[in-house]
Amino acid sequence: MTTWTKTLALAMLGLVVIASCQAAAPGGGNKPAQLTIAAVQGNEDAALKAVAPLYEQKTGIKIQVVEFPYDQLYEKLVTTFKANAATYDLVMMDDPWMPKFGTDESLQPLDSSYGFKRDSDIPDVVYDVGTWPPPRGAVPPAAKGKPQHLIGITIVGNVEMFMYRSDMGPAPKTWDEVKANADKNKKSNFYGYVIRGKATNPIVADFLPILWSFGGDVFDQNWNVTIDNAASLRAVKFLVQDLKAAAPTGSESIDAADRDRLMATGQAYQTTVWPGEITDVIENAQVSQVKGKVSYIPMPAGPSGKGIGMMGNWLLGIPKASPNGQAAADFITWLTSSETQKTYVDKGGIPARKSILNDATLNQKNPYFAALAKSLDAVPNWRPRTDQWNAVETILGTNLNAALAGTVTPEAAVTKAADQIKTQMKNAGY
Amino acid sequence: MLVPVLGTIFLIVTYPFVLAIIQSLQATNGGAFVGLQNYVIGLENPLLYEALAATGIYAALVMPTEILLGLGLALLVHRTVKSPALRAVFFAMAIVPLVIPPIAVGVIARLIYAPGYGALNHILMLTGVIHDEINWLGQPITAMPAVASVDVWQWTPFVYLVLFSGFLTVPHEEIEAAQVDGASGWSQFWHIELIYLRPLLVLIIFFRLADVLRVFDHVFILTGGGPGNTTQLLSLYLYRVEFKFSDTGQAAALAVVVLVAVSVLYSLVTRVLPLERR
Amino acid sequence: MLLPVFAVLAVLYAFPLYWLLATSLKGRSELFQATLSLYPEAPTLQPYVDVLVDRGFLVLLRNSIVVCAATVILALTVGLLITYPITRLEVSPRVRTGVLNWALSLRFLPPIAVVVPYFAVVRTVGLYDQPLALILIYSLFNLPFTIWMLKGFLTEIPREIEEAAFSDGASRWTAFRLILLPLAMPGLLAAGVIVFSFSWSEFLFALILTSTPNAQTFPVGVQGLVTQFEIIWNDMAAAGAIALVLPLVLMVLARRYVIAGLTFGVVREK
Repeated sequence: MTTWTKTLALAMLGLVVIASCQAAAPGGGNKPAQLTIAAVQGNEDAALKAVAPLYEQKTGIKIQVVEFPYDQLYEKLVTTFKANAATYDLVMMDDPWMPKFGTDESLQPLDSSYGFKRDSDIPDVVYDVGTWPPPRGAVPPAAKGKPQHLIGITIVGNVEMFMYRSDMGPAPKTWDEVKANADKNKKSNFYGYVIRGKATNPIVADFLPILWSFGGDVFDQNWNVTIDNAASLRAVKFLVQDLKAAAPTGSESIDAADRDRLMATGQAYQTTVWPGEITDVIENAQVSQVKGKVSYIPMPAGPSGKGIGMMGNWLLGIPKASPNGQAAADFITWLTSSETQKTYVDKGGIPARKSILNDATLNQKNPYFAALAKSLDAVPNWRPRTDQWNAVETILGTNLNAALAGTVTPEAAVTKAADQIKTQMKNAGY
Repeated sequence: MLVPVLGTIFLIVTYPFVLAIIQSLQATNGGAFVGLQNYVIGLENPLLYEALAATGIYAALVMPTEILLGLGLALLVHRTVKSPALRAVFFAMAIVPLVIPPIAVGVIARLIYAPGYGALNHILMLTGVIHDEINWLGQPITAMPAVASVDVWQWTPFVYLVLFSGFLTVPHEEIEAAQVDGASGWSQFWHIELIYLRPLLVLIIFFRLADVLRVFDHVFILTGGGPGNTTQLLSLYLYRVEFKFSDTGQAAALAVVVLVAVSVLYSLVTRVLPLERR
Repeated sequence: MLLPVFAVLAVLYAFPLYWLLATSLKGRSELFQATLSLYPEAPTLQPYVDVLVDRGFLVLLRNSIVVCAATVILALTVGLLITYPITRLEVSPRVRTGVLNWALSLRFLPPIAVVVPYFAVVRTVGLYDQPLALILIYSLFNLPFTIWMLKGFLTEIPREIEEAAFSDGASRWTAFRLILLPLAMPGLLAAGVIVFSFSWSEFLFALILTSTPNAQTFPVGVQGLVTQFEIIWNDMAAAGAIALVLPLVLMVLARRYVIAGLTFGVVREK
């Protein structure tokens, strides 16, 4: 090899090293031309897409939003994180996914690396849900003793609530009243209650608030399975027997799209609801025949005297592999600022800021804001903070669905679910 | 020429399979070598057998229906329709279901079977056949046939196409000779045509079996595997172990088991019914 | 007796297709009527505009066409490289059957089991989010079909034709190029059309191996119309209708050869 080629080769090698160093430098000081966000397709990312061009006008940084359907987004993130691929600078995540990504250490700490602090205008629970390990409740064995970090910031302040036809009757205060109203108002082609009962995730999302309000739970503080105790069983019976009696045929395969259709066409009295369904369908004059006839309230109370809502926040996080961490963090700060949030809400976004949720003018336009503010104030429950939650949800959702279909008794369903969950947790080291 | 090409492909194909084997021997968290533990956990889980049973029922519903229906239609069209234009129309009709994205097929199926706004119940009630809605997707007894019917709709045309092509290749001389001997239409089919079609039928069974093992979209949209796990087919189960249970070790172990089982089945069948005549 | 059976089958076949078209012509408000209407009361092409323009699926459609066309070329080339020797050269029947059976067994690889390892490989070689990654993998998964079909077509071309060329002094390559290839063209065409159609609706690999509209294909976009809380019924139906046009046209144009290809040559073997 001649000296000349040797020099060239060395120079090339040097360039490669410099280039890879630059790519790997944490925080990435220089300003990127573009930030790529992996987002969930649908109502939840619509406002994000709508405000993104404003950021480009302001900073010159283009925001590319790449959308995936709910299940596919999760698969996509799992595989991307597993490969430590620098594909996305920011990712949108459903809050039950946080334990998985927290355990796998897939995300950059937002507090220690980028100086994020809690804002008193935003409820603590919203920060707590983006913190790993969880600041309260049961902590997975593998996460015990690890330092706490903020790894996600909420951009969609979803909490599951309750809706009913306020033109036909008063607000139910308890689940007993829900049942009474359901029986009183049902007639042919008008259903007293709609169960979102499709197998796995849908039925579990519908059931957990009832379970908690009845004093039951999936786990206790030490990860012992409690889904088969007396309180939990009572909640299951309430869903698959009492409420089912007033629900349409085919509850076993009804998903959110179906129940919204029933409400919007004026064929149902009441059901649980996520904010996204309200803005998309129920309050959408183009498709809804019940706009203005429906009211939104926090979850009714159970025998325990408390009604407990369920969080379903969507958070933004910065993947470990993102080379543009600082720019991504700046975008989060901009997006969640009071000022941007006003435009965000205007475009149909679901806020978590108290000042916005309690704004009188905005409440006129968004009839669910008051209920959402109250739900957040009451500190809604989150789904158990375990990286095994997807598995637990699948097991529980399959057995509940069988009980709802009447192919097994509620007793058999909870026993079977408890056994399967125990095995799953044991195999996972709990 | 054959060796380098096949060698390269062999590598590309085998590499992920080898990776799967390695993964199946490692712990999901941390990647420590755990021997056959993933296989034991995977094979001990009763859900696996429920999924296998569901897949078996599904296959038992769709495969005979598709094959008999496809064969019947191919025979019928071959015997009665002589106009090339009409045959071309049947061809085009058979292609359509095959080229619609599976997810769109699933969504249309949901619009037909769904509770409340499903077109099927609506029509049955309009025509007075039923008076109350039938809960197609919510009862085990109807959920599986409903899910299977989508498969039959989409894939019977494939069987028809292959077998219709098969009929065209039966030599005229043999048919004519049989007719001279006074053979009935039935015995002509049974003794001549079916013999020619046999290797095609074996091929169809294998292609369809491979597809049944990967059915996903329309089941997911229609029932999500329910009621209970009545319609949780093997593919849904594998998907859940991989992405919902996040148990990559167990998922890899199950994939290896499935692959080995199917290969054994395949070699057994081709030994009994060789695809190649020699 | 046959006629009523035929009529029932015709209705069962046609209704879902009718429902697809009818739904694709309905506006969003019509989908939210309490009583179902069996035909679009105010037909609109808005869902088609939504899908192609507003949602930007036109780009995805272009990606799909590029990926599938390139897959056809690659799969046919490799298919020929494998089937030429086993049909034209002296190869023992054991090798021949072995290759054919192995090709078929490829189809049994459950995609869900290999998608994650392939993802790792594709990332390592820098093909992530590149159409080329999909092209390579689709070619691979379509090889079984291609091999079986080409084998059928090639076997039907008598060896004597080529041998005559050899005795006139033609090299193997010349004989292949000038004699065999033109004769095999219909078969290649048929195989090509079938491979195109089969790659057209693939979803899992297209999802996992791409990340942006740079390489995402049409089915990936279509899947997005099922959101967490809502299914965009009319857009979905329109997308389904759009998706079926191109493969259908190709298939119908190549109809004669496709029919011949679908027997995989197994029937004529003697």
